Amino acid sequence: MPPDPREMPDEPPPFLGTWPRVYAGVAVYLALLIALCYAFTRAFA
Amino acid sequence: MRPLDWVVLVGSLASIIAYGLYRGRGSNTVDRYLLAGKSMPWYAMALSIMATQASAITFISTTGQSYVDGMRFVQFYFGMPLAMVALSATAVPIFHRAKVYTAYEYLESRFDAKTRALASAIFLMQRGLSVGLTFYAPAIVLSVIFAWPDRVTTLIIGITVVLYTVTGGIRTVTWTDVQQMIIILFGLVVALAMIFVLLPRQVSFLDAMHLAGAAGKLNAVNFHFDWNDRYNLWSGLIGGMFLALSYFGCDQSQVQRYLTGKSIAQSKLSLLFTAMAKIPMQFFILFIGAMVFVFYIFEPAPMVFQRLEYNRIQQPELRARYEPIAARYEDAFARRKAEALAIVEARHSHDARAESDAIAGYRRAQQDVDAARRQGAALVEATGGEKGFRDTNYIFLSFVTKYLPAGIVGLVIAVILAATMSSSSGEINSLATVSVVDIYKRHFVKQASDRHYLTASRVATAFWGAYAVAFAGLGKHLGSLIEAVNIVGSLFYGSLLGVFVLAFFFKRVSGTGAFVGMIAGEAAIFTAFLFTGISFLWYNVIGCLVVIATGMAVSYVSDAPPQKREGSF
Repeated sequence: MPPDPREMPDEPPPFLGTWPRVYAGVAVYLALLIALCYAFTRAFA
Repeated sequence: MRPLDWVVLVGSLASIIAYGLYRGRGSNTVDRYLLAGKSMPWYAMALSIMATQASAITFISTTGQSYVDGMRFVQFYFGMPLAMVALSATAVPIFHRAKVYTAYEYLESRFDAKTRALASAIFLMQRGLSVGLTFYAPAIVLSVIFAWPDRVTTLIIGITVVLYTVTGGIRTVTWTDVQQMIIILFGLVVALAMIFVLLPRQVSFLDAMHLAGAAGKLNAVNFHFDWNDRYNLWSGLIGGMFLALSYFGCDQSQVQRYLTGKSIAQSKLSLLFTAMAKIPMQFFILFIGAMVFVFYIFEPAPMVFQRLEYNRIQQPELRARYEPIAARYEDAFARRKAEALAIVEARHSHDARAESDAIAGYRRAQQDVDAARRQGAALVEATGGEKGFRDTNYIFLSFVTKYLPAGIVGLVIAVILAATMSSSSGEINSLATVSVVDIYKRHFVKQASDRHYLTASRVATAFWGAYAVAFAGLGKHLGSLIEAVNIVGSLFYGSLLGVFVLAFFFKRVSGTGAFVGMIAGEAAIFTAFLFTGISFLWYNVIGCLVVIATGMAVSYVSDAPPQKREGSF
């Protein structure tokens, strides 16, 4: 018997309100890390 | 190893094992043994996921990789946050709601039994090979320290891991991972601090970074695209994302971690936290390797870091071939040290021209050091050493055992051994889970008591431990272990990812289409591996796309209706 998707509701995240906002936050964080790594590379090249 | 090192080492390992067994008590049903009764909080899962990745290989090989090749390996992890977001939005809720023990169990509800069996077989093959490499890494530690044969140390560690993994199941695995991560982070900070303490007094933190950078060791980002270049921004973002999607979405050793979560939200949080912490952690480990490089500018570094091989090529019968290379190495080493000191002095006196001249000389000397090291490795290989000999995996440990003070050596060795135990125990646990749930229970003994399957899970755990020990010796043939693990994974992950993408997003694809697609995907990956120079990070992309294209084409031609669709988008 197929599982009932409603048995396990997707709770909201504990911060930023919705999951899409959390995902966008992770993407921004990644962009920031790459920018920092690039600046690091340039600074000591 | 001094007495204090032994106290720290034995104390650390004993506390990890004891704590793990304590937390794993009550794992007396299949659900508790394999999924911890779905009771894990997000932080435990996140640390467990990170600890499983941070095996002994991470310390031994990543630092050596940075010493030799610089920090560009960090780009390999740039795709991970994107993959974690995608998995949080798709795979995590689907697997949770399907109430499965393994990711491959879901494939039968979506496609058919043969697709599930093939995916399970690919996982068992891939992870079975990798777990052998995980065991091999600490054997390197003990061969450097005690000159024990690799096989003996592999066997001793293997037996220890199997004993406590068989007893406690995934709850033990997860909680030992948590404790291990705390020790790892502490050990990393201490190791880096010790490097700076041991640098010459006139070399500051910034000087050390400039010296590493001038030698090309702080090359964290490279925007230049090249199919054959293993590590650049694009291979990291795209290839790394596909590898991370495959690893965290299709590899049971990771999926099983977040299946233990209390809820979908807890599992999502564990993946997203891992995504955010992994890049800084790898950056930090690679940075340690770069700083070990700077340390060895001022301290005599052996031409070959693998002590047994280095001793062998210095034997009288090889002296005529060894001495000219050693002389070139020592000359280049001395010039590099002098130029490095000149750079530091020029920086302190703000003499830009002198600094520029010194950097040019320093780089020439570095090229000569590298050339002499390559000649030394070639001599090892030509006189009976391993084919393709590389000493990358021995660099960090040589530094630790020779230069770090009593107690710290024991701590670092404890971190490395604990990381091995925890990583390999998780891998063995997942191999046993797939063997029992997807193979044994599905095809051989379909109706039996919970106790029967619990016993079967423990027997399977012992079997995979023995298998891993048997295949651990392969590690010595594969150069840098951190690359070897990822290359082995990339040979299989693309197909697994492709079939899960078909399952989640392509409703009209049939079981036969998915099955044929996986076979075509594996064929394409091995063709790329054997007959092209394409970097391994792209194998996942190639395999995934071939599976999708073939799966759709076969389904279209055969026009077979999709059998089951629940759980897909």
